[in-house]
Amino acid sequence: MSIDRSKELSVRITNAERDRVNFELFNVDLSLANSIRRVMMAEVPTLAIDLVEIDINTSVLADEFLSHRLGLIPLNSEGIDKLAYSRDCACDNYCANCSVKLELNTKCDTDSTMSVYASDLAKFQNGLTLGNPVTRDAAKKGPLICKLRKHQEIKLTCIAKKGISKEHVKWSPCAAVGFEYDPYNKLKHTDYWFEDDAEEEWPKSANRRFEDPPDKDAPFDYKATADHFYFDTETVGNLPPNDVVLTAIETLQRKVADILVGLKDENVETSNAQSGGFTTYGRTDYDNNGGETPSGSKTPYGEFGGGSAWN
Amino acid sequence: MAPKRKLVKLEAESDEAFQELLQPEYKGKKLTDEINTAEDKWNLLPAFLKVKGLVKQHLDSFNYFVDVDLKKIINANELVLSDVDPEFYLKYLDIRVGHKSSSGPEVREVIMPPHECRLRDLTYSAPIYVDVEYTRGRKIIMHKDLEIGRMPIMLRSNKCILDGIDEKKMARYDECPLDPGGYFVVNGTEKVILVQEQLSKNRIIVEADEKKNIVQASVTSSTHERKSKTYVITKNDKIYLKHNSISEDIPIVIVLKAAGITSDLEILQLVCGADPQYQDLFVVNFEEAAKLEIFTQQQALNYVGRRVKTIRRAGAPKLSQLQEGIEAIATTIIAHITVSDLQFREKALYIATMARRVVMTMHNPKMVDDRDYVGNKRLELAGQLMSLLFEDLFKKFNSDFKANIDKILKKPSRTSEFDALLSINIHSNNITQGLNRAISTGNWSLKRFKMERAGVTHVLSRLSYISALGMMTRISSQFEKSRKVSGPRALQPSQFGMLCTSDTPEGEACGLVKNLALMTHITTDDEEAPIKKLCYVLGCENILGIDSATLHSDGNFGIYLNGTLIGTNRFPSKFVSDFRRLRRTGKISEFVSIYTNTHQTAVHIATDGGRICRPLILVQNNRPKVNAEHLRKLLNGEWAFDDFLAHGLVEYLDVNEENDSLIALYEADMEDTDSAFTHLEIEPFTVLGAVAGLIPYPHHNQSPRNTYQCAMGKQAIGAIAYNQFRRIDTLLYFMVYPQQPMVKTKTIELIDYDKLPAGQNATVAVMSYSGYDIEDALVLNKASVDRGFGRCQVVRKNTIQLKRYPNHTKDVVSGMRVDEDGQPIFEHQALGPDGLGEIGARVVNSQVYVNKSVPTNAGESVLGHNEQTPSIESHRETPAYYKGPEPSYVDQVMMSVSDNDQALIKVLLRQTRRPELGDKFSSRHGQKGVCGIIVQQEDLPFNDDGISPDIIMNPHGFPSRMTVGKMIELISGKAGVLNGSLEYGTCFGGSKLEDMSKILVDKGFSYSGKDMLYSGITGECLQAYIFFGPIYYQKLKHMVLDKMHARARGPRAVLTRQPTEGRSRDGGLRLGEMERDCVIAYGASQLLLERLMISSDAFEVDICNKCGLMGYHSWCTTCKSSENIIRMTIPYAAKLLFQELLSMNIAPRLKLGDIF
Repeated sequence: MSIDRSKELSVRITNAERDRVNFELFNVDLSLANSIRRVMMAEVPTLAIDLVEIDINTSVLADEFLSHRLGLIPLNSEGIDKLAYSRDCACDNYCANCSVKLELNTKCDTDSTMSVYASDLAKFQNGLTLGNPVTRDAAKKGPLICKLRKHQEIKLTCIAKKGISKEHVKWSPCAAVGFEYDPYNKLKHTDYWFEDDAEEEWPKSANRRFEDPPDKDAPFDYKATADHFYFDTETVGNLPPNDVVLTAIETLQRKVADILVGLKDENVETSNAQSGGFTTYGRTDYDNNGGETPSGSKTPYGEFGGGSAWN
Repeated sequence: MAPKRKLVKLEAESDEAFQELLQPEYKGKKLTDEINTAEDKWNLLPAFLKVKGLVKQHLDSFNYFVDVDLKKIINANELVLSDVDPEFYLKYLDIRVGHKSSSGPEVREVIMPPHECRLRDLTYSAPIYVDVEYTRGRKIIMHKDLEIGRMPIMLRSNKCILDGIDEKKMARYDECPLDPGGYFVVNGTEKVILVQEQLSKNRIIVEADEKKNIVQASVTSSTHERKSKTYVITKNDKIYLKHNSISEDIPIVIVLKAAGITSDLEILQLVCGADPQYQDLFVVNFEEAAKLEIFTQQQALNYVGRRVKTIRRAGAPKLSQLQEGIEAIATTIIAHITVSDLQFREKALYIATMARRVVMTMHNPKMVDDRDYVGNKRLELAGQLMSLLFEDLFKKFNSDFKANIDKILKKPSRTSEFDALLSINIHSNNITQGLNRAISTGNWSLKRFKMERAGVTHVLSRLSYISALGMMTRISSQFEKSRKVSGPRALQPSQFGMLCTSDTPEGEACGLVKNLALMTHITTDDEEAPIKKLCYVLGCENILGIDSATLHSDGNFGIYLNGTLIGTNRFPSKFVSDFRRLRRTGKISEFVSIYTNTHQTAVHIATDGGRICRPLILVQNNRPKVNAEHLRKLLNGEWAFDDFLAHGLVEYLDVNEENDSLIALYEADMEDTDSAFTHLEIEPFTVLGAVAGLIPYPHHNQSPRNTYQCAMGKQAIGAIAYNQFRRIDTLLYFMVYPQQPMVKTKTIELIDYDKLPAGQNATVAVMSYSGYDIEDALVLNKASVDRGFGRCQVVRKNTIQLKRYPNHTKDVVSGMRVDEDGQPIFEHQALGPDGLGEIGARVVNSQVYVNKSVPTNAGESVLGHNEQTPSIESHRETPAYYKGPEPSYVDQVMMSVSDNDQALIKVLLRQTRRPELGDKFSSRHGQKGVCGIIVQQEDLPFNDDGISPDIIMNPHGFPSRMTVGKMIELISGKAGVLNGSLEYGTCFGGSKLEDMSKILVDKGFSYSGKDMLYSGITGECLQAYIFFGPIYYQKLKHMVLDKMHARARGPRAVLTRQPTEGRSRDGGLRLGEMERDCVIAYGASQLLLERLMISSDAFEVDICNKCGLMGYHSWCTTCKSSENIIRMTIPYAAKLLFQELLSMNIAPRLKLGDIF
């Protein structure tokens, strides 16, 4: 399939706020647009509390309950690229290079119920905004962690680590990623269910204003593909939306680059038609020939490929 | 509708919204709102529940027992006399539970709050005090406040410390204010006495077997003294009286003659009246009496007396036949009618009435009674059962006491003056223990009725708030579960409004276990005597003064009080309406029912306890008596429900009286009709009970689905009670983030399910996805699961008792053991220095959470070992190990002292579980499913706003289940989410689909609830429209973690050496007979051998080929040689069989030969 090079990829930002961006993507394939969406949701690294060391917890909530809540608190992740993944770090368990330490130390001494908010989490200074709990409410308190009664106490240390949302949503930078194309359904990808009149019964997308209404008399263009996408990226506040989009694109690029690097690798049999279509994907420990083109892989049931038992 | 109106106003003017805050509000309704009687009469329901509550029947019944019934029992058994000393007597004057005579009944002397009893395995009870008067020597002594035992107290009854206290005080007692009460705490477990359903007592029930041509009228007489059943039965068209204590059926005429009606004419008049057809049917009966030459009462009594089975206690004087006859007629036959001064007439009339009913049924078989008709049933509650038990125990107590004093009084010379009180205290434990044992085992054994009833009490299920509540409204039938009859199981039309139409279990108990509807009340006993007097005042002619000839004359209605004919009246409708007027004005109890039965030409008045009734609005001239003004007073709080009763606007009707009324469902039904309505329903949704009331739009569902949900709602994990974290129960499940449903019902608000919910509002996409959703499996969103959807905590109690032994040794808890580095060894990692699990410590499989040790010499006798110095190794470790595939955390450790002075340690272990593959979920429409796959959020479909579902449900779940209510729930829920309001799915009402669609359209969604979704994998939009919105989902208690099981090698049973059975014993998976058949058919004989022997119980035996018996060590003990010994492998079970056969003198001999 030939790609129409005459149309250049372009982006138009229609609306940008502190925690959300609306943009349009022109002249890309649907698969690429969706990949960006998926990467934004799943693979943009952020910071989130991953380990909780509890010293004292006399609140009504169980330790696991409290830890789960702490994990879901959005932490400011600007500058996350300076932080290493804990698993890649040279340190034993965790260190300042791969983690941010936060501390919660509260005790209720009043007769009334005390609320503990995310802003009560004290961060061990690292000179950055990285790891500060995100507060978006007017009082700058952040999410409620729990409530304490008189004499109840919480004393714990949280270790926030870098991670991606594929592992756990607490690392997700996005609340929701809106995605739309073809608001007039010109491509007829969907057939609106209706009783009398689809046009009447179905709500109209706001994105229709960016497109021309279809010519009712024009014949259906069965060759047309989607090339105009509407994104609505809404973040939870740990990363600004532009960071999310840019990191997502960067991550996607890296993933593609990884494939390229992998394909260029010497050890990969680029053509293995004669070996019966088997590949070891670059791994050499599959057979004892040691990297030579295998004449057929061995299974416990005998030899496949080259000289099969069924021949 | 009200909340919607409110919201619209909120949006209109913020000023008014502020004003609204100043207005007192009642269930989303302002005082200034116009009151519409048709819509707002439902407010009577919360008012009713405020006074009555859902478990009020249990409480009422228990209160009646402790306040009224106990005194009656004391009066009936007030004297204890001695056979030895005729001077001696002891008389019970008064009885009280929970307070002494010096203080008023408002003082509640209960030593311990109920929650402490639960935790410490004690019984929540109060002392029973009696006042007695007795003789000591020549003096008469009064003694007050003698404790004769302790009575288990029903929680929230008027003897309970929780009665009438506010929420703050409740919290101080660690009690949940929403907990309904109505159960007992016995030895730390919460026990409910289920409502028992039985056929009504002391009423005539006529049945016919048309095939065998038998008609029988039976009556179960029940008094404090005895229970007996009397039958009047036809045999070859002749009528006989049958009773267990009479060896032979007695012709009815002879019975009537024995009862003093000697004239044949009078018998005919009493039984048949002037009806020639009845007379023709009955006249044969005279023949038999004539043949037997029985004409006088004396002859008849002799005849009866000869046939009485006499069981005389030793020492009682022997009676003559005549006396036996008199005794039988007076006391055994129809025992509930008492005979004084040999005045048999009342009893004779009763027998004649029974005979008349039989004759009527012989004439017209349709005159039979229906056993399954709810009006013929009585519900027995905790109080009645307790009173039966208490009276039995009290009688035993008195007879023990009597035996004891007799023994002492028999002694010729006594050093001191005899004081009876000293020996009364010896037996005080019997009553306490008897009550405790009966409640904790559920075995109700009553000696005087020779009655043995098992399974009366049940442990209160605390799985969720609903399961506990559902248990309190449950009714169990006395009917046998195994019998395959449909009659008692079928839904009775008379159940309407009284018993829930949906809530019954599936399977063997289907239809036998029922549940009360929302607005039912169960009556307690009312005094009969004043009602009788009233009847005479209202123009009822006394039965004893009526000429037999006119008794059954035309237009003469018999007045029956609790099934007994007390008189006649010629103007029944006036009599009935006069009677009702008195009841409505509150002159007599509101629970006395009266109705006319034209077929029997009878007016029945019932004052007995156990009748089911419900309140209805009175109607006059087809206008409800309750008007806007009354409702305004109710909303103002000026009036309570009882004021409606007192003003005659609302009244209680029992099932029988309902049949005498014309009840309109809605006010609109009464317009433009000629029929004169008498009553109006308060709210139609009260036909359902508390559990079925959770279902939104149940009237749109196929009925079995509602029944399924009733069963599943009780298994849903959620909040249990406000004190849930203070509880230490064997097994508790909590949901981490329970939510109140988006689509509520009025019932949900009334029973506070919104405060203690069990489920979460999941965004559901009804579509097919991934193929892992077939057969009702659900697809879960991993992101939702990460964020806490369906997350639950499971806490399990482990009890350890530290025993004391007779030789003054006792169990101890020893500290943790450490290795050479000073670190605790692996097994003891969860322990603290005190040998108990540390709070918050993680316990993994085979670790110890209580390091208990028992003394090695515990079995030694108390004496003789004193010389030995206790050795260092005096204790042996018997620690409590944790067993489980997943680690737990120590949640709470409680140490206390139980009843018998032994230390009690309870360790609560907690697990937090996130949903995993195979966990069970269900919506509120009987649609259960397991999680089939958990999918990454980015792979899930989403709409243009980026919303992705929490759950994907396969659309194949809908067509065959026809749960339209679920679809409407989705649409209402979606509208509610968009609108910021909670919508209602109340039965026969709720938010209208049209309004909901309107909201959807206004908010830019399709009115159908369907959305256009994009595929998360390709980004392409899905061709189909997807039904998408929130549905309330419950997580059910069945989780894979508790069920997963596999075994390679493991323990074997001792006897057979075969692998053990069951998950709890790490058992093997059985290759059963049918599986064996398959393997044989397949021809895999070696597999068969391997499965059935080698991997199971292979055993090497030495077989002597000469004698065919088994030897050992290559030696045949029978032949005394090792010549023909052959070693072979057989299943151990086979070897065992051979040996067992040998032991019974059968010698199985094995003959071995070569096959190849």
